[in-house]
Amino acid sequence: MSLRLRLRGLWNKGFTGLSVLAVVLLGAALLIVLAPMLYRGFQAVVFVETVEFRKMEFWELDRGDEEALQAEVAAIQAAREPVYALLDRFSRGIDVERQIDQARDVYRRYGEKLRAEQTPREAYTEKRARAKALRDALTDAYETADATAAREHLQVVLSQADEPWVRDTMLREYVQMARDYGEVIATIDLGRRQEYAQALDEVKAALRKLLGPRPREEVPALAEDRYGATRWDLVQRDVEHFLYDEQWVQEQPGEPLVRKWVPRTDPAQFGGTALEPLFGMVETHLEEMLRPRWRFYWQYFIDGSTPGHFFGGVGPEVLGTLLLTLCAMLFAVPLGIVSAAYLVECGGDHRMVRIIRTCINTLAGVPSIVFGLFGLAFFVLIVGRPCVLAASLTLGLLVLPVIIRASEEAIRAVPETYKEASLALGAGRFRTFVRVILPAALPGILTGIILSVSRAAGETAPILFTGAVFYGDVPRSLFGQTPALSYGSYGIATGDRIGMEMPHQQYGMVMTLILLVLLLNLAAIAIRHRVQKRLRG
Amino acid sequence: MALDAVSKDVSMPLPSEGNAGGLARPLLLTPGQDLKGYMLGHLGRAVLLAITCVSVVAVLLMFVFIIGKARHFFIVSDVVGSLSRVREFLTSTQWYPEAEHAEFGALALIVGSFYVTTVALVLAVPVGLLAAMFLSDIAPFGVRSFFKPVIEMLAAIPSVAYGFFAVLVVAPWLQDTFGFATGVNVWNAGLLLAVMAVPTIISVAEDALSAVGRERREASYGLGATRAETLLKVVMPAARSGIVAAVLLGMMRAIGETMVVWMAAGMAGQIPTPWWDLSQSVRPITATIAQEMGETPQGSPHFYSLFALGLLLLLVTFVLNLVSEHFLSRVRGGGVR
Repeated sequence: MSLRLRLRGLWNKGFTGLSVLAVVLLGAALLIVLAPMLYRGFQAVVFVETVEFRKMEFWELDRGDEEALQAEVAAIQAAREPVYALLDRFSRGIDVERQIDQARDVYRRYGEKLRAEQTPREAYTEKRARAKALRDALTDAYETADATAAREHLQVVLSQADEPWVRDTMLREYVQMARDYGEVIATIDLGRRQEYAQALDEVKAALRKLLGPRPREEVPALAEDRYGATRWDLVQRDVEHFLYDEQWVQEQPGEPLVRKWVPRTDPAQFGGTALEPLFGMVETHLEEMLRPRWRFYWQYFIDGSTPGHFFGGVGPEVLGTLLLTLCAMLFAVPLGIVSAAYLVECGGDHRMVRIIRTCINTLAGVPSIVFGLFGLAFFVLIVGRPCVLAASLTLGLLVLPVIIRASEEAIRAVPETYKEASLALGAGRFRTFVRVILPAALPGILTGIILSVSRAAGETAPILFTGAVFYGDVPRSLFGQTPALSYGSYGIATGDRIGMEMPHQQYGMVMTLILLVLLLNLAAIAIRHRVQKRLRG
Repeated sequence: MALDAVSKDVSMPLPSEGNAGGLARPLLLTPGQDLKGYMLGHLGRAVLLAITCVSVVAVLLMFVFIIGKARHFFIVSDVVGSLSRVREFLTSTQWYPEAEHAEFGALALIVGSFYVTTVALVLAVPVGLLAAMFLSDIAPFGVRSFFKPVIEMLAAIPSVAYGFFAVLVVAPWLQDTFGFATGVNVWNAGLLLAVMAVPTIISVAEDALSAVGRERREASYGLGATRAETLLKVVMPAARSGIVAAVLLGMMRAIGETMVVWMAAGMAGQIPTPWWDLSQSVRPITATIAQEMGETPQGSPHFYSLFALGLLLLLVTFVLNLVSEHFLSRVRGGGVR
């Protein structure tokens, strides 16, 4: 008997424990869902910006102090110059095609100049021949894969360096080129030139991603290519790709490939070459070249963005969401309150009222995607095309039952004594409702309205086909399509490119949506709390 | 009735307004005024009724327009053709609406919806019911008023945010932790749908549990039952209609949810084989509509077939709604208040 009692007690405790666990689980779920999205979303607003961000802000968003920016750009240009110079000098040794072209070009220009000066025929032929010998020696030096032979060819050029016909004409460029090339081939293995060329392209691309296009390069067509790493976290990532080569190696046959990061200063890469100092240089001068600075980018919530949301904020999305919600509310709130008033004040329990209630419940239970279909088949048909009006009418219909139920509850919660007192004073039922019951029920109704605003702001399915676009500006009229936070969050979450390049932009958008919805809900909870207090007396 | 009629325009003077003490208008109404007030009162009621009926009209229009579009899909030239269309729709798993010989077998989509809904309910119902019991019977007031907003927040988070979370956080986690071939699968969608359905289940079930009343609980305690026994053997059976309704409403939420399943279920139009392998991707009805409606030209068979899917959803939720309403009206002691 006592064992059974103890077992029952144990089961009781266990049951209590289970139910506590269930609730704790829900709390944990809320935390797990919200924490990463909010935390990473805030990184779109609070972060360490670089000078590339300030450039972007000035050119794309038209904000910032031009003079300060110019000064800063000049300073970073100075810091970056040695890097580019080193890179150029090295690539002169690798990219021989271009060098040969350049040598030919010099030769051609030299000839043109001689002709322009109307040099006598013999002198012309002789000078051309000497220049040609230099050019051929240089070209041979470029073309050969044998370092000794190359050096001999170069020596031919360099030995003429102090001759007046070289020193004082444009042929001195050949000397400069020969010196540069001599420097490069002193450190690299000419047999691996192809490899170097490929790796050099990678390095250049990585540097471009880090620092943006070079100063005199033409502006890329895509906004996302116009700037280097705009944030310090992106700098860290990009510098990693700059300093290390990502390789997939198969360590043993039959095993899956493993990722390895090989430093670019490794002998297999650029170790020992003239380029090696570049990597240390970039790593140590990163701050001078990019000038990181903490930034609270509150304009994120009002700024427009470049196509694909690569840079900028969610301003159009926020405005679009507010526009859609506002129009939906203008449609649903009056209808909802009047319906609730009718159901409470005039509705008894006859058949009509029961049908109405069933319909309201049905409406509340219809899946949101079916609302979207209905909006497409009905509102879009009436208006003629998908637009804000059609989308917000669809949303309005979706939240109508929410408003009706909340208003009904609020109106019922007004103590009967208020009504009786008003009627006893001689006020009619209409006046009693408008002047006495409605004001008393207003906070409750407001709570319902706020909650339905948050619902309407978060819904995606009903606006998919009725008036939402992924990217664009807020329309000037109700007959245009609009971007919205909810649809934008969907689009940006499923975009692969932006997920790899700019994850903070993804999280920023959804964070804005969640923040909007949660703030509305907190407001509703606060109002309800006050109402309950007041009703309790 | 006469008192009722006063309502609209002929009002009694309130003490606060008008010339102090004296009456602004005579108390006694002439028959004409009386009649006018009566008419106006009824007119006002009729107007209010008309406005209230917008909901009814909306539901009717919804059925009319969706059936109207779906009709083009189901009804082809002759009866035999129509019947085979319906049979193909409900029994074939081949959904190739854009192929040259378009096939419209929605079975895999229906099964996909069924899978994610079932997983969601299996996860959400126990948690939801336990939480409802905790909130209604076990928790002290302070704890309760802390957890109520938590659950409201869970309900308030937009579904697209859950979908976002499913794609960018849950999917990689599932893939890394359990070694699934893909992170967007039945587990992922079911898990997130469960989180979304739990608040609905809790709020309805809690109402039902509270409606059982003190007397039964006290009687049970008086007989020496523990709290667990009281809840499970006395309160639960008494509240069973409401609990059934709670489960049904949670189910409706899960069936009708679009964004989460669109983003998290993987969009593969197949029935998982073997059937218990929940790490495979499926393609629920709602997700199919959302995915394909944007890409299909208006008026094509594909366009209408999506409305047929919508009609299916509408009918299922409509029936579920009627059933749950039936159970809920039992909770309220028959009929609405």
